[in-house]
Amino acid sequence: MTAVQAPPPEERYADELAALAAWDGGLRPPGWALTPRAVVTFVCGSRGEALGGVVISEKFVGDRALVERCVVTLAGERGLLLVGEPGTAKSMLSELLSAAICGTSRLTVQGTAGTAEEHFRYGWNYALLLAKGPSPEALVPSPVLAAMQQGKLARVEEITRCLPEVQDALVSILSDRRLAVPELGEGGMAFAAQGFNVIATANLRDRGVSEMSAALKRRFNFEVVPPIAELDREVALVRRQAEAAVARVGVPLGVDQQVLQALVVAFRDLRVGRSAEGWAVEKPSTVMSTAEAVGVATSIGLQSTFIGGVEPWRLLPGYLLGVVQKDDPKDRGRLLAYWDGAVKRRAEKDALWKGLLELRAVIEE
Amino acid sequence: MPRVLAPADALAALTGATDPWLFGVRHHSSACAAALPPLLDRLAPDVILVELPADVQPWLPWVGHAEVVPPIALAAVAGGSVAFYPLAAFSPELQAIRWAVARGVPVEAFDLPIGAGIDDGPEDDGASNGLLDALLVSNGAPDAESLWDRLVEAPAAGADPEAVRGAALLYGWALRADGPARPRDLARERHMRARIAAARGRYARIAAVIGSYHAAALIDADADPRPRLPGATAPVAGAVVTSLQPYTAEQLDSRSGYPAGIRDPAWHARAHAALAAGEPVDGVAGEVLVEVCRHIRAARHPAGTPDAAEALRLARGLAALRGLASPGRREVLEAVESAMTHGEVLGRGRVVARALERVLVGADRGRLAPGTPRSGLAPHVEALVEALRLPGPGEVPTEPLRLDPLRSELDRRRHVTLHRLAAAGVIYADRTGNEDDEALTAAWAPRWTAATEATLAAASLRGPTLPQAATGALRARAAELAANDQLDPAARVAWVAEAAACGLPDLVVDGLADLRGPVVAEAGLVELVAALELVERIAHGHVPGSPVDPDRVVRDEPGAVPNATIAGQALADARDELLAAAVRALDGLQGSTDLADVRALTALTRVFEGAPERLGDGRLAWALERLADEGSAPIQGGAGACRVMLGVEPAAALGERLASWLDAGDVLAGRLQGVLTAMGPQLEGHPELLLPLARRISALDDQAFLARLPALRDGFDVLSPAARDRLLGAVSEHLDGEPIRAELDVDPAALAALAAADRAGEAAVLALGLPWPAPPPPAPVVPDAPIPDDPANTLRARDRWRLLLGRRRRDLPPQTGRYARALDELYGRGRGEGSNRAGGAGGGDEPPFPTVRDWGEELGALFGGHVRQEVLGRAAERGDANAALALDPDSVRPSVELLEQVLSLKGGLSEAQLDTLRRLVDRVVAALVHELAVRIRPALTGLTLPRPSRRRTDRLDLRRTVLANLRHARPRADGPAELVTERLVFRTRGRRAVDWRVMLVVDTSGSMDANIVHAAMMAAILSGLPAVHVDFLAFNTAVIDLSERVDDPLALLLEVQIGGGTDIGRALRFARGRITSPTRTLCIVVSDFEEGGPVGRLVAEARALVESGVKMLGLAALNEQAQPCYNVAISEALVAAGMPIAALTPLELARWVGEQIR
Repeated sequence: MTAVQAPPPEERYADELAALAAWDGGLRPPGWALTPRAVVTFVCGSRGEALGGVVISEKFVGDRALVERCVVTLAGERGLLLVGEPGTAKSMLSELLSAAICGTSRLTVQGTAGTAEEHFRYGWNYALLLAKGPSPEALVPSPVLAAMQQGKLARVEEITRCLPEVQDALVSILSDRRLAVPELGEGGMAFAAQGFNVIATANLRDRGVSEMSAALKRRFNFEVVPPIAELDREVALVRRQAEAAVARVGVPLGVDQQVLQALVVAFRDLRVGRSAEGWAVEKPSTVMSTAEAVGVATSIGLQSTFIGGVEPWRLLPGYLLGVVQKDDPKDRGRLLAYWDGAVKRRAEKDALWKGLLELRAVIEE
Repeated sequence: MPRVLAPADALAALTGATDPWLFGVRHHSSACAAALPPLLDRLAPDVILVELPADVQPWLPWVGHAEVVPPIALAAVAGGSVAFYPLAAFSPELQAIRWAVARGVPVEAFDLPIGAGIDDGPEDDGASNGLLDALLVSNGAPDAESLWDRLVEAPAAGADPEAVRGAALLYGWALRADGPARPRDLARERHMRARIAAARGRYARIAAVIGSYHAAALIDADADPRPRLPGATAPVAGAVVTSLQPYTAEQLDSRSGYPAGIRDPAWHARAHAALAAGEPVDGVAGEVLVEVCRHIRAARHPAGTPDAAEALRLARGLAALRGLASPGRREVLEAVESAMTHGEVLGRGRVVARALERVLVGADRGRLAPGTPRSGLAPHVEALVEALRLPGPGEVPTEPLRLDPLRSELDRRRHVTLHRLAAAGVIYADRTGNEDDEALTAAWAPRWTAATEATLAAASLRGPTLPQAATGALRARAAELAANDQLDPAARVAWVAEAAACGLPDLVVDGLADLRGPVVAEAGLVELVAALELVERIAHGHVPGSPVDPDRVVRDEPGAVPNATIAGQALADARDELLAAAVRALDGLQGSTDLADVRALTALTRVFEGAPERLGDGRLAWALERLADEGSAPIQGGAGACRVMLGVEPAAALGERLASWLDAGDVLAGRLQGVLTAMGPQLEGHPELLLPLARRISALDDQAFLARLPALRDGFDVLSPAARDRLLGAVSEHLDGEPIRAELDVDPAALAALAAADRAGEAAVLALGLPWPAPPPPAPVVPDAPIPDDPANTLRARDRWRLLLGRRRRDLPPQTGRYARALDELYGRGRGEGSNRAGGAGGGDEPPFPTVRDWGEELGALFGGHVRQEVLGRAAERGDANAALALDPDSVRPSVELLEQVLSLKGGLSEAQLDTLRRLVDRVVAALVHELAVRIRPALTGLTLPRPSRRRTDRLDLRRTVLANLRHARPRADGPAELVTERLVFRTRGRRAVDWRVMLVVDTSGSMDANIVHAAMMAAILSGLPAVHVDFLAFNTAVIDLSERVDDPLALLLEVQIGGGTDIGRALRFARGRITSPTRTLCIVVSDFEEGGPVGRLVAEARALVESGVKMLGLAALNEQAQPCYNVAISEALVAAGMPIAALTPLELARWVGEQIR
């Protein structure tokens, strides 16, 4: 088997899952592979402690209480909806949760504007349908229906990108926990096995999304996944992921800690609209996610390794402009204002920021 | 060598101690408060020692009185510092005192007296040994308070009281063992140990109720692992004043700004009641959740039993996962957030947060026992008033006082005290005379009346001293405004101004933080400039209550420690951010035609003018460049002038541009107005600005000049007559012939009198030996060659300048004078300096034209038909109804501007005149609607129907599929034919064409005229479409529904009254009430988004509409040239709430509507 780019967590962390299953013999909700406590530990790590002989790594950098709420929600009657800005690791969290709770993260619907109702309910093998009429063999179950039948977790990515009518197919599934297939007659009712639930992810503030209906909202518990709260953890995460990315092409990341820190600080300032020192910053309309910061760090690393000639920090303003300015020309003005305000003030005390201030012309033209 | 004990040994030592018996508490703790009485019953002590300063000892019987209703508060004031001890039912101290008083057991306040004046020492020397951090991590608690909840409160349900005592003592020991104690704590512990030792001689069984942090130090003087530092023990001068007062739940909540409070007091009160009654705390969570749902429903948002049930399940699940017996406050809050807010920070999130606050803060009000001695604010104020020699109780009021607070120390103290009394809601002194903040002196009429007594009693709830009462009242007012969504930027600025006047630096610093936060986020340019001005006034020490000089700080008592002045850094930070925000707000100025905006722009530029290195200057120059290129006419002019002031463009370049604008037609007047408003008086000093224009004017032929004359005159009209006179003089220096000297248009006798007075003044000054300034040296004469007159022209250059400036008409040749007279009819005497001089040299000597008709004919004869219409139209705009009526309905050129002008007149006309007007409007509207409809209808039609498709959708078109594959049908052996489907045919999603509802919500506040005209016409066009129902809601601060008239734009326009404020939120709420089928409704808000109502409510309403499925669109106001003009900050907040805001022309709007309803 060829190596895949991103193996699913149930394969990647198979040893940890096995160890956790053996370690905690407590009460499990019906249909669950692990106890709630073990699921939280799997996601947040065991802080270096060896459980059942294996140290559980920290996979999700964030609030433990958030993970606890997610786990408790999934043991109940409502679905779990993870919302937040792009790049806050919502999808990763949902994969980890489903891998830990039901052993698979593969029952997934990837939402787009073209997603149809059959992706949530069922479709037909049309040739078989026309030839033999409606029969269970001609039925093609959706990932959601499969999860219902097997008592596993179904994941819906980017649910708000689906059209509202399509989203609403989930309403009755989540409230009645059954799915009628009228074509099959009397026996055409699929009931959810114990352990079935839905994890959805959504960007409520992104462009091109459909609003969710109030009926559907009432069937979910909402968890807002915030961007990483601490600077140090975010810098560490960006470094880790950028290193992993350039390692794929077999080179080390030639960006030093100070530049990386400046990059992450700039991203955070523009993301929250307030600088680390508490000065107001104009927020651009683009999303300044951690994932984008990783992208920029990787690009800077690759450019300085393969093309060279320029010190990495000199590349920062140009890449930053590329991230900030996507479709609103006013965003350039906002980045300029950031340079005029926060960068100028920091330049009084810090040589790196002073250097960045002198590169203001890169943004201006 | 410090002794380090293992936790178990330490705990055994603490719980086992009997001399004294220890109960370590947190000052608000339902678990401890419930556990204490049963433990005291078991122990039956002879005396109870309570950790309260010894000064409050006399009050303890009144605190423990059976008729007291908590919450109440003990306060001790010594010098400038106030110590505050709120006591609620869930305060262990209150329970201990009550227990003792009821049983006649002595109770002693045994902490260090408040006046002992121990230096607090450094806040934190960081020498933590990591014990606390380790505990936090292992318990998953974010801070020490949560840790207490985890260790003490949550396990208390159903636990033995002794177990609660043990947990609390262990927590305190861990906190203490974490790092060294502060000197003040050490001194207090020393004092308490001494008091215990003294009590040992008198009593056998001693119980001590203390903060659990201190427990270890009371039984073992060496428990502290650090060498003792002596505290600075200089006793504070002046007597200690103590008081006991009733208190409220809102004050008890730590978010109220009062000290020593706790978050969500009602939660703790409920938990205490449940614990004391031996009921499960689980029930409290259920109760709270049900009530929260009820409050959410009361705000008309859905939240039912399923939500409460899910939240309770979640809270219990979390408690179980965290190893707790029942959910605590934190679990309940988390559950509410997950299960009820739907991930919304705005909209629903706000509703839920408010419901939570109402349920968890509660509305309890405390009451003292009857007969409790009077204390607190009233005696304090009486003493203060006496010290300031202001009328006290029973004294006859004096004459109104004129205070000069910036010069006299006494007056400053009086000024601040009067402001504080007013802020605290005490009726004592009226401010007479003008309310101008800039005035140096202010007059007050103080008087002690029965109303003073009554309001003092009410104000005493807020604190025992005047500054504290004023602080509390101001904070309460801010909270109330916020609760009613009225805390808009203007209110915040006013609030900070009042706090500054009251000399309350803490509040001012908080307020400055608000200016940097919400104000920066919401305010428009005008409010930002107002906030900037306030900050500058404080920074320059012009606000008596908030001096920059620490020696001038007002103190309450002699000898008291002065308050800190407001940190200069806070002011500088606020100013920087306000500046940055003001620069940011410039984007919204693009389409403004209001000269006030040009003035604000200029004021902002002036701030930068002297200090080129200020933060944000680059952004300002960038914004100005854009405004100068793309703005409306006055903004272009103003921005150009500002660029010269900033030094980013040479004056000569602007001068050339100014000259080129002569050919710019319609926008000439506006641009000139912009430049002149911004530069005004400086223009005379910049010949390079005017010379190019002067050259062009001299070079024009007569006809071309006359065509431009009305616009030029209109442009220069923004200058005052005197300024125009000076300008005329300055320009004439460069023209052929003698310069025109600025004459004084004053009666010679009066002039002589003025000169005599001047000389007398000079003599008087010189007689006193004071220096008399020498007259300034004459300005150097510019040796430029004069601009020659073109001999082909009849109108000489100097006369042209007289005409376009509207000055010195007497000097004009008779024929030329007719032009001047025709224009003077419109412009009159002008405004400002020099406009009210007797016998002025400007216009207005001759009698006015007898009728508009005569005037119109004269205009037509002199300038031609085009100018006639322009001038009459302008006259109509200035409110001359007759001019509008003189316009000929049949020959008039239909334009939105004209319609606007004519419509603005309708209020002041008689019925007969209105009839003429109606014909005019009717014609113009019909022409415009026709013109618009021809362009717009195609954008709205062409609806699509379901079509067969080979693209896979979820609907198989069986009939077509069978038809398409019939040729592959094969008979099968066992009977029915088998169809091999090679091609599948699907149906696309059909677009339904049933009725849509389009709601036009139109702002009719001032300066929205053009938009109303457009909106009315759009409404008429849309209502003509099949299957579209149009609603027309016009609003300013009230909303009227004009939907019945949408098909008749004339009636609609005549119905709308322009003017008033703006309350978009209210209009949206009204609209929300009328929506029946949200997903089939388009709601289009036409406004400049200068919201006068609360912005928070506006955003919440918009969010609620979007959530319900309504398609929202905000149409930023466009001016006639389709340049947008709107409040940037508020629009951005609305966009974030899901309401796109765009500046669309009518045609673009029609396309948008077409796309949505297709």
